[in-house]
Amino acid sequence: MSCKKRDQEKNCPEGTQQKTTSRRTFLKGMSVGAAAAGVALTTGCVPGADAAASGELKLRWQEFFKKNYRLMTQEEKDQTVARLERLAALKDGLELQIGSEPPIPQVLYGYAFNITRCEGFMECVAACVKENNLDRKTNTQYIRIFEMEPGQLDPGSGDGQYYHEVPVDNKFYMGTQCFHCENAPCTKACPTRATWQEPDGIVVVDYDWCIGCRYCQAACPYFGRRFNWGESQVPREELTVKQHYLGNRKRPRGKMEKCTFCIQRTRKGRLPACVEACPTGSRVFGNLLDPDSEIRYVLKHKKVFRMKEELGTEPKFWYFID
Amino acid sequence: MKNSRFRYPSAREMLLRLLPLLALILPVLAGPPPGFAEETKFLDRVKSIDEPFDGRVVGQVRPVVQPTVLAKESYKGGSFRVLARKQAIERYKCSSCHTNKEVRGKNALVLTHGNVVINHGQEGSALICIDCHNHEEFDYLEDKKGRKIDFDHSYQLCGQCHFRQKRDWLGGAHGKRVSYWAGDRVVFNCTTCHDPHAPKFAKRFPATYSVPLD
Repeated sequence: MSCKKRDQEKNCPEGTQQKTTSRRTFLKGMSVGAAAAGVALTTGCVPGADAAASGELKLRWQEFFKKNYRLMTQEEKDQTVARLERLAALKDGLELQIGSEPPIPQVLYGYAFNITRCEGFMECVAACVKENNLDRKTNTQYIRIFEMEPGQLDPGSGDGQYYHEVPVDNKFYMGTQCFHCENAPCTKACPTRATWQEPDGIVVVDYDWCIGCRYCQAACPYFGRRFNWGESQVPREELTVKQHYLGNRKRPRGKMEKCTFCIQRTRKGRLPACVEACPTGSRVFGNLLDPDSEIRYVLKHKKVFRMKEELGTEPKFWYFID
Repeated sequence: MKNSRFRYPSAREMLLRLLPLLALILPVLAGPPPGFAEETKFLDRVKSIDEPFDGRVVGQVRPVVQPTVLAKESYKGGSFRVLARKQAIERYKCSSCHTNKEVRGKNALVLTHGNVVINHGQEGSALICIDCHNHEEFDYLEDKKGRKIDFDHSYQLCGQCHFRQKRDWLGGAHGKRVSYWAGDRVVFNCTTCHDPHAPKFAKRFPATYSVPLD
């Protein structure tokens, strides 16, 4: 609904709040017609005079009726990104740089994780939380590191909640995150086609088309997806301002989110935050379609395996042993 | 020899006998199951590409900010760069103290190199200074063949024992690239991550902790 919680607290008179909180009332308003819906949107939550003057209302209106990201032309993408930047500036006084970089041709991202080298320092997890503006309140994390007994290979049997000095002798550490499957079950489960695989192999979510049904979370055999129950709480000074429409931009409440291989970085040739933060060099990232890339070296020369390979999901995330 | 009891099977019997065979053949004719097809398609596509990736299509790669040097090794026939080391050594150049004359001074060793704790090598046969440092020209390292090795190119020295790690490092399975997956290859030097005097990472608490998933 157009009337967001924040605005209700700020701008809505008592009476209108009661009205707009009901979904049914809103749908009734919609059925009258586009014009009436417009009235509902505009009068349902009357913004302050300053907001109206600055065009915030117009921006929100245009944002509400935008298309699915995949149906947008580059021009429309630029426009919505510009609107989001302007809205962030108007509402929260933030200067964001949201991008909509397209996939790079002849690139298919792949990832490898060295289970011999990882020592469980969790620098990757901390870097990911910071880079992707993850909710500090609920402690959302895209990456999990499991402390494993020798001989185990299923993170489900490892300890994912350790907090003691690492590395512990005779244990090894195994990280999981979204594996960006080539044959991703999550994208097939989505009823609104709000999640899909980009040509460079990254499985992304259009946060504005996600309805928060969480079918994809149930479909993912790797527990790679996260649901946000509220808007993410990020301290202002820790906010990453370089964002991507499909990446670390502010997610509305009740949306699905996940690792995007740091799309805002990788599409500019940079390494994902986890790879850059890893102090042990356990994480290898690169272009699978480049025979000279490090990831191809690992696949060719190392003992590699993927998690739950028998499911046929084709993850582009390999574990390897030195 | 003719078997009198032999008779040709009827068409119906023949069909029944062939059914299991048909059940085996038909799926093969129809093509592999979807998951299988995806697998061959995806990895075949990856393997089939032999042309090097033209990094220039990634427009926004800038040179790394850290000082680098051109490596004296090759990576897949081409050159690559490593992070320089000398700038990080506090007392470099060593020859500013270690001249031809012996360095004398009260507690000089403790005051200048007291922070160096050697924890490198197996117990009982731990390394000592001159295993790696050149004892005549102090600005250089020295390997077991007596070659002078620059501090920036310590991988040449480390690789004489840690040859497996060096092989992996050259290929990209050990160590890591700096900042970019695209563009010119710049990698961490051995000494960027490892303290050469105590190369094993110290035990410490993790940077954060995880809570159970919802």
